[in-house]
Amino acid sequence: MISLPSYLFISFLLFVAGMFVMIARKNIVAILLGIELILNSAALNFVAYTKFVNNNLDGHIMSLFIIVIAAAEAAVGLAIVIRFYQLRESVHIDDATQLQS
Amino acid sequence: MFEQILFLLSATATIGFTVAVVGTNNLMHACMYLLGTLFGVAGLYATIGADFLAATQIVVYAGGVVILMLFAIMLTGGAEDKKNRFGIEKIPSMGSTKTYIVAGASVLIIAMIVLKMTANIHTANKDLAVASTGNESTVFNIGSLLLTDHILAFEISSILLLGALVGAAIIARPKRN
Amino acid sequence: MDYSFSNVALIALLPFFAFVINAFIVKKFTKLAVTISCLAIFSSFLLACRIFKDVVFDVYSSEFYVHKYFNWIDISSATIPFKINMGIYIDNMTAIMLLMVTGVATLIHVFSTYYMHDDARFGRFFVYMSLFTSAMLGLVLSDNLLSVFIFWELMGFCSYSLIGFYYEKEGAGNASMKAFMTTRVGDVFFLVGILAIWNIVGSVSFVDIYAALSQGKFAHDIMIFGLGIPVATFAAFSIFMGTIGKSAQFPLQVWLPDAMFGPTPCSALIHAATMVAAGVYLSLRMFPLMEAGHLLTFIAYIGAITAFGAATIALVQTDIKAVLAYSTISQLGYMVLGVGVGAYNASFMHLITHAVFKACLFLAAGSVIHSLHDHHTHEHVQEMPRMGGLRKKLPFTFIAMMCCTLAISGIPFFSGFVSKDRILGDALLAALHHKVMWVPAVLGFAAAFLTAFYMFRMMFLTFFGEPRDKELYEHMHEEHLQLNSNVPLLILSIFTLGVFYSGSLTGQGFIKVFKGNYEWFGTLVEKPHVANFQDHKRQLWTMDSSVDREEFKHSRYDEKHGKTEEEAHHVHQVHLIGALMSIVIAFSGVFLSFLMYGKKSLNPAFWTGLFSGWYRGLLNKYYFDTFYIKVVIQKMLLPLNNFLAFIDMGIYDRYAIDGWENVNRWFYTVAKWFDNLVVDTVAVDGTGASVRLFNVVLRTLQSGKIQFYFIMIILVLSSYIWAIGSN
Repeated sequence: MISLPSYLFISFLLFVAGMFVMIARKNIVAILLGIELILNSAALNFVAYTKFVNNNLDGHIMSLFIIVIAAAEAAVGLAIVIRFYQLRESVHIDDATQLQS
Repeated sequence: MFEQILFLLSATATIGFTVAVVGTNNLMHACMYLLGTLFGVAGLYATIGADFLAATQIVVYAGGVVILMLFAIMLTGGAEDKKNRFGIEKIPSMGSTKTYIVAGASVLIIAMIVLKMTANIHTANKDLAVASTGNESTVFNIGSLLLTDHILAFEISSILLLGALVGAAIIARPKRN
Repeated sequence: MDYSFSNVALIALLPFFAFVINAFIVKKFTKLAVTISCLAIFSSFLLACRIFKDVVFDVYSSEFYVHKYFNWIDISSATIPFKINMGIYIDNMTAIMLLMVTGVATLIHVFSTYYMHDDARFGRFFVYMSLFTSAMLGLVLSDNLLSVFIFWELMGFCSYSLIGFYYEKEGAGNASMKAFMTTRVGDVFFLVGILAIWNIVGSVSFVDIYAALSQGKFAHDIMIFGLGIPVATFAAFSIFMGTIGKSAQFPLQVWLPDAMFGPTPCSALIHAATMVAAGVYLSLRMFPLMEAGHLLTFIAYIGAITAFGAATIALVQTDIKAVLAYSTISQLGYMVLGVGVGAYNASFMHLITHAVFKACLFLAAGSVIHSLHDHHTHEHVQEMPRMGGLRKKLPFTFIAMMCCTLAISGIPFFSGFVSKDRILGDALLAALHHKVMWVPAVLGFAAAFLTAFYMFRMMFLTFFGEPRDKELYEHMHEEHLQLNSNVPLLILSIFTLGVFYSGSLTGQGFIKVFKGNYEWFGTLVEKPHVANFQDHKRQLWTMDSSVDREEFKHSRYDEKHGKTEEEAHHVHQVHLIGALMSIVIAFSGVFLSFLMYGKKSLNPAFWTGLFSGWYRGLLNKYYFDTFYIKVVIQKMLLPLNNFLAFIDMGIYDRYAIDGWENVNRWFYTVAKWFDNLVVDTVAVDGTGASVRLFNVVLRTLQSGKIQFYFIMIILVLSSYIWAIGSN
């Protein structure tokens, strides 16, 4: 039961769900949420592969960096969201079509 | 046995909470469900011997990212007009059957391709999967690897975090006027 | 003396430079411009004096000539030579003519500074005068007919400008137009003649024409309208038509009286002394051609008719300038008559003497007119009935005018007598030889009588008797001797004495000075002997002064003119008879005039009443103007004009031009269709539409909606995975 395909299946479900959230949701925070899901699926893939294929710790290191990057991304992205909200009084993704304020 | 039970629980929690994240109308609830998903993923890490990663997952995500998101949701007032803003039925392209058919077909196609590719890998590495069941702590090894082989990436990620910290502070700072 | 460029060309170029300079500075520096003009013409006079001195006092040969040329146009190909030379031709006639033109022009320029001084366009007058003088001197110096024609037209232009000088006056513009157009009739013929000569000789220079004449190149006929006409006659007639136009001869004389609208000094220079004489000068230059064309009888008739007809019209004129104008026509008729009867020498002498005394007469008339100022109309008075008794107030003018009147009337000891009676003597001689010449001879004598009559009528009406317009008379100023008003007149009047032109005081050998050897004019001016020009000498006209000078045989006066003793005696007898006749005629004319206007024992009104029909005819100038306007212009030229207009507008315009327009319109329709469909719709609008299409596509792609981008990313990634997975 604990085999590579089951992990890959779960990872795939996470990825599809994140993608769905990113496409369907209109709130910028929700989209960031979808991104977290996708990053988790990728990290899970790394760990699964490194366990069942290589059996070393490279995947762990890579997942660690993914977590770090996700944290940084979340911090900056949410800062942007807050700034955007200050400017536009909105967090709707369709309001963010212009590069300049 | 314990591992398998843990795997089943973790997998069920991950998939269930993920569906809940997708399906819920309330963003605040979605964020809470995401927390569940992340715990599920941490459990999955634990089942394949990635103990340090599981702990980091819980610490960083549950303690950092989700809290940050909750703060952001509350700061932008996103939770209040949840129905109008975040309901799937409010999005025109999401309301029609055609969209769901197309989306479902795409998902099926991608799933088939992915499964086909992973099946190849699975059959090629069948024996390896059994041999790697022994679990021991990976913390020492990861620490030594980070400070030897991956020292450059490690330092760069620290600079990245510092930059993200400063950048977030600057971006989110309200205007002086 | 050498005849290099710098010595000769300056004669004509100095007034031209003056013209060019003055044309720019005349508005601001009027006084300076006038001074430049006068100095230029005076310098030309000095240079002309040099040539005259060289020719008459040093060389003194009737065969003398200098022909220098330079190449003006040379576009010869290997087979067709086409070369036009310009140059100078100086012989005795040119030298005398140069001296006359420059001298008279200098005096007239000086007089003009007095006469035109109050005029608003004082400076511009001198600009025109300089140009005119330059053109006249150029004509005199010319060695070929082409440059003669060029200067001829230039003079015509100056004449046009100066006749229309007072363009505010009603009629001045019309008069200038009339003068220009009338002379143009002759000029066209002149040009035809030049082309005919070019065709025959291959050159238009005088010496080449003379050489061609002696070689008999003019012997054949040409067919014109099926009539065989000798080319010499054709060419000579065409050239003589130029003379008729310019010298105001019989059919084309109508312009000269109207030319008196111009300022009086310009009348003196252009319409009395020089330009109108240029026509006669041309006839004299082409005299061998006229002779070869057997045109002399025709010329004599034209001259005699002009001399007599103009004299009769002058009888009834009341305007002082009109009298002088008709007198000029009449005297020009004498010159042409002289050409016609073969009196080459006498005709040219009359040209010179007439230039002197007629210039003086016009200047005197100008002096009279200038001093008579009507304070009511603020204009100068020209009408003789308002004059009378001016002798006391204008003594110097009176003296000058009297001398000239005596000269023109043919009173012995004056220049007019010398020249005119030689012409009449030759006419009488010709009449004795050919019966057909009796008419010109008789008309000539009659015109001499009329000349004496009308000139003294003018004198009596102007200077004698009681002033008829008292107010005008009292407002006149007393005349004082003034350098620029009456001194030129007096200088000119000195040269009305016959002794300057002839060895004998009377010209006919009655009273001789220096034993008759001092007959320089008769000795030097001979008609060109064409045989001498077979191997004529020509030199390049350069700045170089070290050119070999020709030695010419010193001429001596030959009383018999190369004739036998018997013939010479006959000629002498006839000339004596002619001279006596003309003396009698002149004095009878003066006497009749004295009776009518001096003593008033004969009433002119009685005679005009008696011949009222003639009188009306004379007042209307023989209805020439009426004829030209009513018949020639209105009945012939206007229908021709209408006919040509019909051809132009009705046929050419309607069918050729408008037909072409239809063709164009058809092409236009096709082109418009092509334009609208292909160019506009497909090319122009198509470009826009394609841009708009891509715009829609790209705008859709770049909507700025992040989720759309994300969908695109997923699609691309999916297809990438598909491509990897399906291999």
